[in-house]
Parts: sequence; C-alpha cells; structure tokens
Amino acid sequence: MAREPSAGARPRVLAARAVSAVIDHGRSLDAALADWPADFVGADLALARMLAYGTLREHRRLGALLAPRLKKAPQPLLAALLHVGIFQLEATRVPPHAAVHATVAATKALGLGGARGMVNAVLRGHQRAPATLASEDSALIHSYPDWLAEHIAADWAAHAPAVLAAGNQRAPMQLRVNARRTTRDALLAEYSAAGIAATALPACRDGICLDEPIVADKLPGFVEGHVSIQDGAAQLAADLVAPCDGDRVLDACAAPGNKSAHLLERADIALTALDIDETRLATLDDTLTRLGLAADSRVGDAANPRTWSDGARYDRILLDAPCSGTGVIRRHPDIKWLRRASDIEAAKARQAALLAALWPTLVPGGRLVYATCSILAAEGDGVIEAFVAQMPEAAVVPIEAEWGRASAYGRRIAPGDQGFDGFYYAVLEKKTGSP
Amino acid sequence: MAILEILHFPDPRLRETTEEITVFDDALSRFVDDMFETMYDAPGVGLAATQVGDTRRVAVMDCSEDKNERIVMCNPRILWTEDEQTVDEGCLSVPDHYDRVTRATRLGFAAQDRDGTAYEMTAEGLLAQCVQHELAHLDGGLYIDKLSRLKRERIRRKMAKTAKRGT
Repeated sequence: MAREPSAGARPRVLAARAVSAVIDHGRSLDAALADWPADFVGADLALARMLAYGTLREHRRLGALLAPRLKKAPQPLLAALLHVGIFQLEATRVPPHAAVHATVAATKALGLGGARGMVNAVLRGHQRAPATLASEDSALIHSYPDWLAEHIAADWAAHAPAVLAAGNQRAPMQLRVNARRTTRDALLAEYSAAGIAATALPACRDGICLDEPIVADKLPGFVEGHVSIQDGAAQLAADLVAPCDGDRVLDACAAPGNKSAHLLERADIALTALDIDETRLATLDDTLTRLGLAADSRVGDAANPRTWSDGARYDRILLDAPCSGTGVIRRHPDIKWLRRASDIEAAKARQAALLAALWPTLVPGGRLVYATCSILAAEGDGVIEAFVAQMPEAAVVPIEAEWGRASAYGRRIAPGDQGFDGFYYAVLEKKTGSP
Repeated sequence: MAILEILHFPDPRLRETTEEITVFDDALSRFVDDMFETMYDAPGVGLAATQVGDTRRVAVMDCSEDKNERIVMCNPRILWTEDEQTVDEGCLSVPDHYDRVTRATRLGFAAQDRDGTAYEMTAEGLLAQCVQHELAHLDGGLYIDKLSRLKRERIRRKMAKTAKRGT
C-alpha cells in the first residue's frame, strides 16, 4: 500500500505538471487542469489551482529569481516544480518550511527523486536570502514575453505598466441577471439574505459583482436560470447591439453563448447563433435551455456566409471575433506563454475577413457591433480603420459611455477597469441607400 | 539487499494468487529483506509478493513514521473484523492515484513470521487498512476493484498513457 502522499506533495505535483504542460508542451491551462483526477477536490484542489495560476502569472520573474541558483538548466518538469516552489515563497502565505518540505516531497512523487537535494538547497537558499530583481525591464518585472510587452507599451503608452500589472491580478466573479426571470434588486436582496456579499455593477444594467467567487452550481439562482456568470465587459455588448423586439439578429461567433443569451434576455428577437465549433455550440444550447431561451443555433464559418445563410439579412450583427485573448490574461495566464508575435497578424487577418464577409448580410440602416477581448490596437482600431477605409457605406458610430476610454474608432477597456476584463468595442452602421 | 521492480496495473501478474509458504529458509528471509527495502524506497507502508512478481504468500508492512515497526506476514488470514471506515487509499502498483474505499476499522489476523513462528495480532486504523490491502494482493486483488468500473477504466487509460510516455 502506498504511503499517504507526504503532506501537501500532491497539490505541488499537479501544479508543476500543469505549468510544464503549458510552458513545455504548449497546451492550454484549461486542458491541463482537465487532466487532474476527479477525486482531487476541496482545499488541496484550491491550493493546486492557486499554485498553477500564480506560477504561470509570474513565470518569467520567478525564472529570473531562480536562474542564479542553478548550475545548469534543469529538465522541464523539474524547472516547473522549482517555479512552483519559489512562487510559494515569493507570493503566498504558505509557511516557508511547509512550502519547502512539500515541494521536496513532490520532487520524489514526480519521479525526480535524484533532485531532492537540489530542490531543497535552492528553496532553502531563497528562503534564507531572498533574491531580488534589480531590473527595471517591465516585461521581466510583470512577467510578459518581450514582444507582447512591446505591443502593450506601444498601444497604451503611459498606462502600459498598469495594464501589465492588472493582467496579473485575480479576476473578480461577475454575474448577469436574467431580466426575463428576475430583477437585479431582487437577486441582490436574495444574496444578501443568504450572506453572499455582492454589489451592482454601475456600468452594466444587469451586472452584479461578488466579493468572493462561488462555484456555479452553488450559486443561488444559477440552476434555475436566474443568473449567469459573465464578466461585466462582455455584458456591454447587449447595450451596444441594443436589439428591438422583432429584430433579426446574428451572433456570428456565438459559443459559449453568454452574449447570445443576454441579447435574448433583452428583447423578443429572432436570433441566429452561429459558431464554427460544434462542441462549443452544444454549450450554447445548454446555456439557453437553462435560461429558458431559444435561438436558431447553427454550425458554420461566419467568414463564409454561403455555407450557412438563408440569404435573409440581419438588422443587427454582433461580431465577437476570435482574438489573441490578451484582455483576459488575468483569467488565462497561459495566454502569455502560448501566443506568438505572428499570431497577432494572423488574428487581425481573420478578424478583417470576418468583418468583410458579414457586412453584406447587414440590412441598410442596420448596425454591426465589433468586439474582441484583446487589448491590442492591431485587433481593435486597426481592423476597423482598414475596413472603413475600403467600405464607404460603413459609418463609425461613436460610443457614449461611462466605461472604458475612447479610441480613434471605438472604445477600449483596460483589464481591471471597473473590475472588467480588457475589451474592445466598435459600432458600425450601414448607411441607408447602400446596397 | 536489492530494490525489486514493482509491477504496475494492469500487469496480469498482479492477478495471480499466491501459494502457502512451507519452507522458511534463508532465501525467503533475503526476499523479505528485499521487499522491505523496495517498500521503503517507493515509499510505501505495505508490499505484497504479488507486486514484485512472486507467488509466495508473503507481505511486509511498516505503518510507522520512523520505519521501526516492521511486520512480516507469511500465510496471513483475517480472524475477525469490526466497524467500517471510509479512507483514502493508494497502491504502489497504481502510482499517483488515490481513492476513497471502505475498510474494516479493526481486525484480528493470524500469520507466521519469516522464520515460521506463528502469531496473532490485532490491528486498527492505518495498519488494519494495510492488512486488508495486502491480503487482497495475495489473492490477486487490487483496491481499485472496489471502485466503479468507470473509475477503473479511467485509471487504466491513464496508466496506459503514462506507460507509453515512459515517465
């Protein structure tokens, strides 16, 4: 019979494996976490998640702290464990002796028993005399790859350091009330009675922010379809699309379906929910069922309307385009290490193709809302600028709002601004009299 | 002394049953020493001969923190059990996996030492759990047999993946 994994080794083992899956094997953190055993629950699970997310958030800085203590580059899994180890000493309230002991125990459990002494020496060394970074390089301090830090510096100028830092914060849990089933005030009263601290999001009509995260199935009103989990920045899409009863509306990249649901909660519309990914579209159908809503959900590539369109045009289109995800790095710290500089140009080309393909499906006088969860200008204003330059019948509608900040063609939100994810919105209208 | 290779699920040899020991000689004693060394190295609190590909009916245990409570069980059998506990359990033949199983909380067992001396003993808690775990091994059983088929299949797939990667 196996000995109980020495106190605390298991969360470090799983965190190190997840970090290595991202850094060394290019897998997404979500996919790596899905590999964790189903029986791994409770406080150990919470600790392991905290270690995996935190280590990935600060991966580059931690590596710089470790480097002077290493004689040669450790093998990948061992390097991941060392990062997890030093993260605990640097940035958590785990008692240092427990952090070192459990990390050394994890060394053996990972099959790296021969490195136990080295792990112990490196971590004890840091505990005794913590290394500090003398560098003023903000990419290093905030742990971003150089190319991404350079993009952000160029796009956000004086705000860049704050944007970099905000990407390393934990995101709050924000909710959207289903206006068809209840009201925000009623739900806030219910939460208050249940001892759940929550406040209304000022910029979002249906938005609530929880003081502490709660898992979905323990969230009062979730199963009943009274409430959904959605960041406030994403809730702004419904205000901008502003659908009216009777409108034909297209949500062009709809999965997993939160924005579709929000549009349906707002008005009696005929919604086409399109997505290229059949599996993710199934999630959309589940979401709509839970909320008591219905849409015409279709699998199809928005960039190729001939394959899915019946020819009828739309009064409103929401194009929440696939993007770099640089606005949601605080929720997905793996994005920093998985994206490559060349991905941005590819994303931009894809976004431009989607916009150009969908434009003819909009009625004259109709409105298209372009959105991304990217904070890079190339994927925001860059796409809109190029599009309107070649499309005279496209008029940019300025967004008057209490959130974010105006950019040349739309509005952008820095991560952490009002607690929101980083986002970009632009609103285009097709001039009447155009084809 | 030597560290022996521990077989991993789903190795078919883990399903073999063992044969009663009748000769208590030096070879058996050396084998028992090797089993202890293998168990401590793993690290484990119990190891059955089946797990190292041997069909002699012997298992070793040490549930202490300080490796100073060695127990050798030759030809063991459980005499009585009392109460039940649901506990986390793991097996050296199913590395990196732990699950909840139900075990008797207390039991009495009879066995022989490595030199053939018969003894009876009462065990409780972790040691009781370990006795039941090792006895199951000697009859070709694994603790994961007590889990749902779904869970077992998941473990099998995971083990196959790990074996392929060679880690």
